[in-house]
Amino acid sequence: MNDNLGNWNEDLVRELASKQARDSKKPQDNKRSLKGFPVWSWVWYLLGALYFILPLYATFTFSLEMKRDTLSFLAYEKAFADKEFWHTFGYSNLVALLTILVSALLSIPTAYWIRLRLPQARRIVEFITLLPFVVPAIILVFGLIRIYSSSFNIPFTDIALIPPLTNFRAGTTVLLVAGYTVLALPYMYRSVDTGMRTIDVATLTEAAQSLGADWKTIMLRVIFPNLRSALLSGALLTFAIVVGEVTIASFLGVPAFGPYLFLLGQHRAYEPAALSFTSFLLTWMAMGLIQLVTGGQGQTTGAH
Amino acid sequence: MANTTISTNASTPSSLRKWVGVVPFFLFAILFLILPSLRLFIGSFTNNAGHFTFDNILQLFEEQSILNAYWLSIRISAVTAIGGGIFGFLLAYSVTVGGLPKQLRSVLITFSGVASNFAGVPLAFAFVATLGRTGIITAILKDVFGFEIYKTGFNLYSFLGLSLTYLYFQFPLMVLVMTPALDGLKREWREAAENLGASNMQYWWRVALPVLLPSILGSMILLFGNAFGAYATAYALTGGALPIVTIQIGAQIRGDVLHNPGLGYAMAMGMVVIMAISLAGYSWLQSKSERWLK
Amino acid sequence: MRTKKIAYQLFALFVIAATLLSACGPKAASGQLNTIALPHDWCNYGGVIDAFKAKYPDITVNELNPDAGSGDEIEAIKANKDNKGPQAPDVIDVGFAFGPSSKAENLLMPYKVATWDSIPADAKDPDGYWYGDYYGVLSFLVNTDVQPDVPQDWADLLDPKYNGQIAMSGDPRTSNQAIQTVHAAALANGGSLDNAQPGLDFFAQMNSAGNLVPLIANNGLVAKGETPIRITWDYNALSAIDTFAGNPAAEVVIPASGRFAGVYVQAISAYAPNPDNAKLWMEFLYSDEGQLLWMQGYCHPIREADMRARGVIPTDLLAKLPDVSGAVFPTLAQLDAAKVLITENWDAVVGADVQAAP
Repeated sequence: MNDNLGNWNEDLVRELASKQARDSKKPQDNKRSLKGFPVWSWVWYLLGALYFILPLYATFTFSLEMKRDTLSFLAYEKAFADKEFWHTFGYSNLVALLTILVSALLSIPTAYWIRLRLPQARRIVEFITLLPFVVPAIILVFGLIRIYSSSFNIPFTDIALIPPLTNFRAGTTVLLVAGYTVLALPYMYRSVDTGMRTIDVATLTEAAQSLGADWKTIMLRVIFPNLRSALLSGALLTFAIVVGEVTIASFLGVPAFGPYLFLLGQHRAYEPAALSFTSFLLTWMAMGLIQLVTGGQGQTTGAH
Repeated sequence: MANTTISTNASTPSSLRKWVGVVPFFLFAILFLILPSLRLFIGSFTNNAGHFTFDNILQLFEEQSILNAYWLSIRISAVTAIGGGIFGFLLAYSVTVGGLPKQLRSVLITFSGVASNFAGVPLAFAFVATLGRTGIITAILKDVFGFEIYKTGFNLYSFLGLSLTYLYFQFPLMVLVMTPALDGLKREWREAAENLGASNMQYWWRVALPVLLPSILGSMILLFGNAFGAYATAYALTGGALPIVTIQIGAQIRGDVLHNPGLGYAMAMGMVVIMAISLAGYSWLQSKSERWLK
Repeated sequence: MRTKKIAYQLFALFVIAATLLSACGPKAASGQLNTIALPHDWCNYGGVIDAFKAKYPDITVNELNPDAGSGDEIEAIKANKDNKGPQAPDVIDVGFAFGPSSKAENLLMPYKVATWDSIPADAKDPDGYWYGDYYGVLSFLVNTDVQPDVPQDWADLLDPKYNGQIAMSGDPRTSNQAIQTVHAAALANGGSLDNAQPGLDFFAQMNSAGNLVPLIANNGLVAKGETPIRITWDYNALSAIDTFAGNPAAEVVIPASGRFAGVYVQAISAYAPNPDNAKLWMEFLYSDEGQLLWMQGYCHPIREADMRARGVIPTDLLAKLPDVSGAVFPTLAQLDAAKVLITENWDAVVGADVQAAP
């Protein structure tokens, strides 16, 4: 296995070698603290669990209080009475999957190319991927509508290359997916980039090429499978963003989950709590499915 | 850097061909991000009457309230990026290198996926229901321990409270981005270090952390940007009180009241500049830290 | 071969997804109406839209962003100038001040409904570009389970027993409702419609006394007891009590002094893709039927005086509306002046001590 640390720290090696020489007279002390019970890991995990669960629990208990002086699921019954709930949830799920596909297809080759062939472009690409944080969603959606609500003609003619995207459902969906890909870009790109740094694409590509692999094979059979863990992170982040998004969906007039939730619950007292708790659970389950489908964590060489 | 080349035919000059691979990305960015956002740039030089002006940009530097807003936004983003980065790293560590059972990792990862986007009114409400005056923790502390946190000056509707709330989506983000990086810590390095007699601390300090540093920095700038651009949560939780930049921008370009959109756009451009500066700082740190990888 | 297989699978998935997505939602019918910023619980817009759909079953109503503020609605018109699709709003319902300003920007299409003459003159544009639709009076919504001692007037809000209990329904820098809340407080505090400064001072007092919570109050927070006193339009407060259905018990109080009326206006977009349906919508809203539907949402419809005189309002509906006698209606000039004063000075006068927080 290629140990690509190179000559990263000759000082440490020398230091440790001399330490070993000094210690060789003493009995070997196996300081493998990780082989014992991982106390600290449990501490962090449980603290984290406490922090995450408490606010959810608080929301849940409040949602049960709709009937006076008793706990009941009345708020949930009212929230789910409408079949539009499932329709919009399904729609948003589909849009999310499309967005994941598009943003992955966009990010992976780009990150790969930058790593291997064009490190000069790295700064500008990273800057672009951070721009969605500072462009308010409302500016983005109005900008998209402005530009794509008229047809794109061949210059100097009246022949439309692209019809106005906003006038038909499929076109609006294109705009929606494009907008969401932009929103998810920071997360997807960063995940993919971190993944590529971790697996050292340069060496993998070299090795594959020396075995005679071509471009496509390298991407599909060498790079892509090793990125599973990073892609999973990016996919989960993108999914959550899309399903919960309200601004772009509601101005583009599509039947998405976010605007629906808002329309349903904003002026009620208990239903919003029930809805937010439920959509949290449902999205969590969808995440679990995604994880199953992508084959789990895809750990590389088994850390420890 | 490796001099790996991907075979292509040598008809176009190689300097130009190098850019081919990033063309789809730039095309997409131009079509769906830059062009729609152009209004931001043009609008910051336009006043309410529609004429060209530098007034908006000048106002950014002249009005104390705007400068305060930027400083407040930077502070809360930095605090939650660092806080979120540290504990998020520890969480990611615990389920990867830290040796917890695989199922716990699945739970954390999928939960983080959802929690990373749990924001706005629902998140604000959840924290109000937990730590507000009528929150369950407040109640437990009072009834069980006799400790009234609101008497000590604690207030959820403050910088501290907002930071605590922001962390709810910062921790998961850090977990999700760092887990693949932690997976990449090779077992061989640990074994090699231990064979040479390194203690746990030495392994982490001299081997693992240097390797992870570029990823950690990259994640932290993501967290910074994430918090910097956040709007809905702050509005819901501290609406009238903490005037962070995104709320100020919203006040100018949206809402029920006639305002000065040009100023709003100028403020947004200011945010772009701040992100660029942060990115420059991060790049510099990262180039220093990437020595360890190659 | 495996790569091809994966590619085909992905493509098939894409096609299926796109087809499903295209099939979803309302079909492109010949009759459409695009509305914006109409929450269903606001003035019973839910009932209004349902009744309109029942009356014109061939018209598909596309409801855009119910969360939008008046500024968003105007921005939506501007962004959709070239758009004939379902994203372009046909009709808007905006704050009073937005009527004249949108007319000045040439964003509106004039139209006078059949019942035009019964709309009060000071609530409409003489050329028919915009017209008042309903009004409400600022009130206190009180969760009486948490706070049984109900404040009766603005001055009561300074009482220490309301410590940490009072919240507005918006941010005074962006929200019509919140700005007018501050303006209303001026009336009860020695100010007038022309002078909103006492309102700012009043809120500064409330804030330093610790009675004001910076949360944007909504019904969930009122029910939770975190903001048991919410200052909002009376129609919102009354419909909140309906949705509470006794849990929690709540009351609405129109303050004894400082009764401030807020008017909203309707208009048709100059770039409306469906101008004929927009006109049908307006005719419906300004018919007795439409006005009564708003009244069911506890709003005072703009033709109320005319309808009372003709005796067409059911007595049980009349009984549900609170007594708002003495409510004052600010002019546009007064609203503008107050808005400038309040938005520019809010942070300095009221938010000052919060900025000093760590």
